[in-house]
Amino acid sequence: MIKVNGLYHSYSNDENYAVKNVEFEISKGEVFGFLGPSGAGKSTTQGVLTGLLPLQKGEVEVVGYNIRHPKREMFNKIGVSFEQSNVYGKLTALENLEFYRKLFDVETMNSMDLLKWVGLDHVANKKAGEFSKGMKHRLTFIRSMLNNPELWFLDEPTTGLDPAIASQIKDIVKEKNKQGATVFLTTHNMYVADELCHRVAFIIDGEIKLIDSPRNLKLQHGEKFVVVEHLENDVIKKEQLSLIIDRDKARLNEIISTGKIEIMHTKEATLEEIFIKVTGRGLK
Amino acid sequence: MRKLWMTFLKDAKLSFNSFYFYMEIGMALIFVAVLLFVVPENFESSQKFYIAMELETADTETFQQLMGNSEDVTVLDNRSEIVNAMKKDRSSVGAIIRKNDDKIVYEMILQGYENESMKNLIKAGIEGEILTQIPGFSSQITVRTLEMDSEKLSDRINIIPIYLTMNVGLMGLFIIAAYIFLDKEEGVIKAYAVAPVAVWQYLASKMMIMLMMGLITSFITVLAIVGFSVNYLYLFGLIVAFNTFGSALGLFLSSFFNTMVKAMGVLYVFIMIMMLPVISYLMPSFNPMWIKWFPSYPMMFSMRELLFENGDQSYIMMQIGIYLVLGLLLFVAANHRFKKTLTV
Ligand SMILES: Nc1ncnc2c1ncn2[C@@H]1O[C@H](COP(=O)(O)OP(=O)(O)OP(=O)(O)O)[C@@H](O)[C@H]1O
Ligand SMILES: [Mg+2]
Repeated sequence: MIKVNGLYHSYSNDENYAVKNVEFEISKGEVFGFLGPSGAGKSTTQGVLTGLLPLQKGEVEVVGYNIRHPKREMFNKIGVSFEQSNVYGKLTALENLEFYRKLFDVETMNSMDLLKWVGLDHVANKKAGEFSKGMKHRLTFIRSMLNNPELWFLDEPTTGLDPAIASQIKDIVKEKNKQGATVFLTTHNMYVADELCHRVAFIIDGEIKLIDSPRNLKLQHGEKFVVVEHLENDVIKKEQLSLIIDRDKARLNEIISTGKIEIMHTKEATLEEIFIKVTGRGLK
Repeated sequence: MRKLWMTFLKDAKLSFNSFYFYMEIGMALIFVAVLLFVVPENFESSQKFYIAMELETADTETFQQLMGNSEDVTVLDNRSEIVNAMKKDRSSVGAIIRKNDDKIVYEMILQGYENESMKNLIKAGIEGEILTQIPGFSSQITVRTLEMDSEKLSDRINIIPIYLTMNVGLMGLFIIAAYIFLDKEEGVIKAYAVAPVAVWQYLASKMMIMLMMGLITSFITVLAIVGFSVNYLYLFGLIVAFNTFGSALGLFLSSFFNTMVKAMGVLYVFIMIMMLPVISYLMPSFNPMWIKWFPSYPMMFSMRELLFENGDQSYIMMQIGIYLVLGLLLFVAANHRFKKTLTV
């Protein structure tokens, strides 16, 4: 679906690269996460991949088209949701979708259905300019799926949304992926990445540091812990024990054999902890 | 074509919802109102002439008979009355006629700002008047600017070509740039750019909006001021050609900038330069060769030909052709540039 080789991009057209030597491939049906702190170059990469920014250096292939010689018709297969919502403020939500829908040569979804999906049907005939930030964001999001895209670019799809709506959006992404859509997802929210992505790329200062599945990353880099709360002399004690260190393992056995465990659960390293460990930098 | 039409319908809806549209219509209506109710059909252009005669009664009567029928000439009693009258009307001139040894002599009284050529004109006027003593000469005292054209429009209609040129050819430059930068700011250009439509369709739709507005405002103005004596087919042709040129130029210029503020300076300079030919239009004596190369020059003069009863139709047709071609070339250039810069 996507092949990127030696991609560089500089906004000032010099050696000052916002994106450096980026390389990755995304296969059909995959949800690929681009994870990195603010200013890492995530949106820049998406910009080049969607043809909004000129391809300066490197090779990029998207849905079978070489981005150096883009064809307009390739956008029938692509959907793009933007970081900053961009809808016509002077048109209503429905008018926004209806106009956009007619620009495609392929079968499109029903605008009203989409509005319903993200809970905007009651304001379908309201001017988008009067929407709240989250409402505009949802409108931008559903507009990107009007053409049932084979390849779906999502730049920060859940940022700034309240948790209920964010989880609705995540469900829609999962559902679309199940139906076959390939997703390129950009975020600095590791929970979203963890939950949705088959593979993630860690990107910092324009460079990809590693690419792997969240599961592999946790296996390789994450230390597993068990958190136990147990009664000792009628007092509740809470301990966190590593499953790697021998002394901790022995202690865990001891607690299990005394049999006074109240609560016990495993604790995995979060993607964020792994990110910090691998890159030495936080995600904020 | 279907997508272009969809885009045009959307842009039309947006502009009906926007301030520019009503501003332009409003300006056209204000212009019409000012022309109809404030501007006189013809400006007062003749000069008042005060005359005193220090002659014998018989001669005075002869003079008065000859001159009394002219509205612009007032016969007064003596020098001090002339001076007083001239102080009240600073554009007037005066003369005192007397007889000296049987010869008629006159003394010109001027305001002081008149230059040599004006003095000569006034002199010629007075001498011509004195010659009227000889039977067979008719009164010829009113001094008027010589007309280059045999036909003359009323002053009110004469202003219309300036308005149409400004409105259609020049303001379009600003407004189409504003539309593009508004879209850039709202980010909607990016959404459009990732749909299976071409940049030229986006640009062409904007030009169609400008054309629609240009046609509406121009037709309102010409209908209200001139009425039906104009060939509206030619008017349509001229507006289409000049509007295409103006908005394509606006597109081309704005393709070099990424914000309205940055583009403003260049657009302003262009508009100011293009306004220079207005001077030629209003003052036919200022007509250097180079000014004819400014696009607004042929625009105004072909609009004027259109308003003449027997205007030069081949000139009109030629300008329509030239500006359509120029406009299309600029459009191609703008499209070429915007393909790379529209979303950056
Ligand atoms: N239009 C622009 N002009 C110049 N520099 C830019 C522009 N957009 C981004 N940059 C620079 O490029 C770098 C990468 O920015 P980018 O927007 O790709 O980051 P990001 O990973 O998407 O960040 P965020 O999480 O904040 O969205 C940053 O250093 C930024 O300052
Ligand atoms: Mg970003």
